Amino acid sequence: MSLIVAAFGFGLVSMSIIAISAVGFTMQFGITNMINLAYGQVMIASAYAAYAVNNAGVSIWLALPVAAVFGALFSFLLNRLVYAPFQRKGTNLIGMVIISLAVSLVIANVMLPIVGYYSVSYHQNPGTTYHLGSIAVTGEQLAIIGVAVVVMLAIHALLRLTRLGKAMRATAANPTLARNCGIPTARVIDLAWLITGALCGIAGAVAGMNSDSFSVASGSEFLIPIIAASILGGAGSPYGAMIGAVIIGEMTEISAAIISPEYKQVVAFAVLVLVMVLRPQGLLAKRGALAAAG
Amino acid sequence: MPVETDADPVTPIAGLPAPDQRPLLVAQHVSRHFEGVHAVEDVSLDVLPGRITGLIGPNGAGKSTFLAVLAGTLPASSGSIIFDGHDVTALPAFRRARRGLVRTFQLPSEFAQLTVLENLLAAAPDNRGDTLRGALLGKRYWKGDEDRLVEQARILLDRFRMSAKESDYASSLSGGQKRLLEIMRALMLQPRLLLLDEPMSGVHPSIIGDIADYCEALRDEGLTILMVEHELHMIERMANPVVVMAQGSVIGQGTMAALRQQREIVDAYLVG
Amino acid sequence: MTYYLTTILVYAAVDILACLAISLQFGVSGIVNFSFIIFQAAGAYTAAVLSLPRDTANGGFQNYILGLNLSFPLPWIAATVVGAVIAVPIGLVALRRLRSDYQAIAMLVLSVIASLVVTNTPAFLGGAAGLSLVPQPLSDKFNPYSDSYQWAFTIGALILAVIVFFLVQRVINSPYGRSLRAMRENEAAANALGKNAVALKMTVFIAGGAIAGLSGAILVGFITIWAPSTWLYPETLILFAAVIVGGRGNNYGAVLGALLVPVGFEEATRYIPPFGPPGLIPALEWVCIGGLILGFLWFRPRGVLPERRRVFPPRRQVAEVGNPSASRD
Repeated sequence: MSLIVAAFGFGLVSMSIIAISAVGFTMQFGITNMINLAYGQVMIASAYAAYAVNNAGVSIWLALPVAAVFGALFSFLLNRLVYAPFQRKGTNLIGMVIISLAVSLVIANVMLPIVGYYSVSYHQNPGTTYHLGSIAVTGEQLAIIGVAVVVMLAIHALLRLTRLGKAMRATAANPTLARNCGIPTARVIDLAWLITGALCGIAGAVAGMNSDSFSVASGSEFLIPIIAASILGGAGSPYGAMIGAVIIGEMTEISAAIISPEYKQVVAFAVLVLVMVLRPQGLLAKRGALAAAG
Repeated sequence: MPVETDADPVTPIAGLPAPDQRPLLVAQHVSRHFEGVHAVEDVSLDVLPGRITGLIGPNGAGKSTFLAVLAGTLPASSGSIIFDGHDVTALPAFRRARRGLVRTFQLPSEFAQLTVLENLLAAAPDNRGDTLRGALLGKRYWKGDEDRLVEQARILLDRFRMSAKESDYASSLSGGQKRLLEIMRALMLQPRLLLLDEPMSGVHPSIIGDIADYCEALRDEGLTILMVEHELHMIERMANPVVVMAQGSVIGQGTMAALRQQREIVDAYLVG
Repeated sequence: MTYYLTTILVYAAVDILACLAISLQFGVSGIVNFSFIIFQAAGAYTAAVLSLPRDTANGGFQNYILGLNLSFPLPWIAATVVGAVIAVPIGLVALRRLRSDYQAIAMLVLSVIASLVVTNTPAFLGGAAGLSLVPQPLSDKFNPYSDSYQWAFTIGALILAVIVFFLVQRVINSPYGRSLRAMRENEAAANALGKNAVALKMTVFIAGGAIAGLSGAILVGFITIWAPSTWLYPETLILFAAVIVGGRGNNYGAVLGALLVPVGFEEATRYIPPFGPPGLIPALEWVCIGGLILGFLWFRPRGVLPERRRVFPPRRQVAEVGNPSASRD
């Protein structure tokens, strides 16, 4: 029992990391109508950007904004240079998902010779360990949870309180209508890539902090719980992704404690299959977002 | 006088000789909700055989959704659809099509990378080569059917004056030609009831009259048509009765002339 | 020399089979099966554990299920069947009425997870180390190390590829193939015209699974080893690259793509002098694969040999000559 309670504590950290990344992933889909399978690789690239700064002697917490900026610019350029031109050309959804997987492969293999094949770890100080019953979390992990809470609140404020957020929601619901209503959808989409890219970068860095080490190969590993949380919550819905992250984060950690850590991802997958069978549109679907065309 | 939504669906329709024919399609209390939005709310409608029934109303009235529910593209949230005496409510779209309830789409939906002739052939039922087994048995097995259907498709192409385009990719057609192609494609199934979703939208004005002529000729040959359309003068010319929908419900039906006398209908839609 | 040639040709046969299956699923029918490689893996593992003796043999250095020691051709037939059978549940879940890109990511995730499960379950299919010493077909009757055996195997593999080529050719040039293409172009319209899109998709998904299973059996029968590292999800993307380069929906394109991309890359790197740190060349290869996909989708999205336009002989000829043999492609 205490094992499960301890796992619940880890789950809080996991869900925080998944929430940051899944909200970015699902917003990319919702606003730009694009499933970006290179997301995991951009996370890893950002984690390495933070590593470069961290390795130069800067605290990992100061490197975190570097990862955010790196992820934002990388995602922005990725869209401007690759995705948007293909979309303008009229490439269909199937084409776009193949393109994003090809991009993911290119990023990973361009990175390999640059950053090397071995796993790296941040120079970091996990801080004091706090205990609450069987739950033990380090100061650093508490800080990660804090970052996630701040990011979620910021996204909530962005979507609900700002004009940009409104414009994003309108663009997500119906880009043509939004454009006709005078919303500068091209700029909204640029900003959406910058913001979701920043989330992606932050997520990469905190995921790197929370794991003993990471390597280029971790990219696709990161992607599985992100996809699971996004689909579970309803693809395109940021709030759905938050709920999805809570469920996937806890389920993977608790099952890791009960079964075996190797099968963490399998549990995420089982949840995914269950959702696809029972409620393919997810918990909080953007209406019609995933219906077959026509 | 026009029948209200909640009236008995078999009440005689104003402006028509009291029809004693059995309706070809009966929709009873059909509703369609999307996550809480009531796109179609309790619509009952009879489609009489051998006529063009017009379905008009402002944008967002639920006309296209209703058509999609009739064809089975979208399932009904509640209500029932009786086609030719059979309850088809639970049947998927492809089974309704095989029974002769065939629709077209509001947006162009040609098979872009198939030729015009192939578009027609793809719609044809009863080809022995149209199963995996038939395909594996080879061309000799299905060539008889194929030749018959090619002939049938070419007769249609002649009639719609599209023979010259036979081997062009459908993607290269103009908007109006795509509309004609979709109608021909539907005709390949030899439908009993044709559901046309704005067959004149996106069409060059000079072709609109042609489409109306074709529809009238098909009606005169006994085909029943239910048509959603915004070209009101064409509806007035072709359709009787005309059904008006607004906000998911039927707000009136009758001849166009009779509808024009209805103040609330004019206010709701027929302004201008 | 024999070894070199036979190896190339067997790989060519296997890649051609895989590309034909992807061409049928993706090129003709518009299904993006990002878990394709697990069907090949399922075939390979099936053939392996059916032809291997019990895992206590050979000193018990590897663990796996079954080990039935069946003789050829049973393992290959079973591999084909297993490829088809696992397509059923996967198709039923992934090919529901969902957006096509959503189906694709579901299958991508499946591919990653399947690899994870097999890697972390050593008692099932040998875990990360995989299976080795898989008996070659009829190796109890012939000497598998002889040149004549190698050539016989190679010719057998090529014949299977040719048979599958003609079967797929029959399908895509038939009215059934036309229905598949119609579904690819517009699924809702095909449904509204009486096509059962779910059944069409399931059928090609299962057929592709069977072909993939067979290709896996051939490959493992030749190289005699199989492990998770041979079927990571990017392998599927190589095959997609091949079909995109060759021309989707065109069987000749699938063959050309198979020869240019998987086979060609393998051969090209053989002749490139090693440079840079170890691992640089494979990384560059992957970058090239990704670049090929992006480049072709941008500049020549229909491939080197595009799907051909089907023109029917004009009516007059039908009437006069009485020989309407439609030159269908």
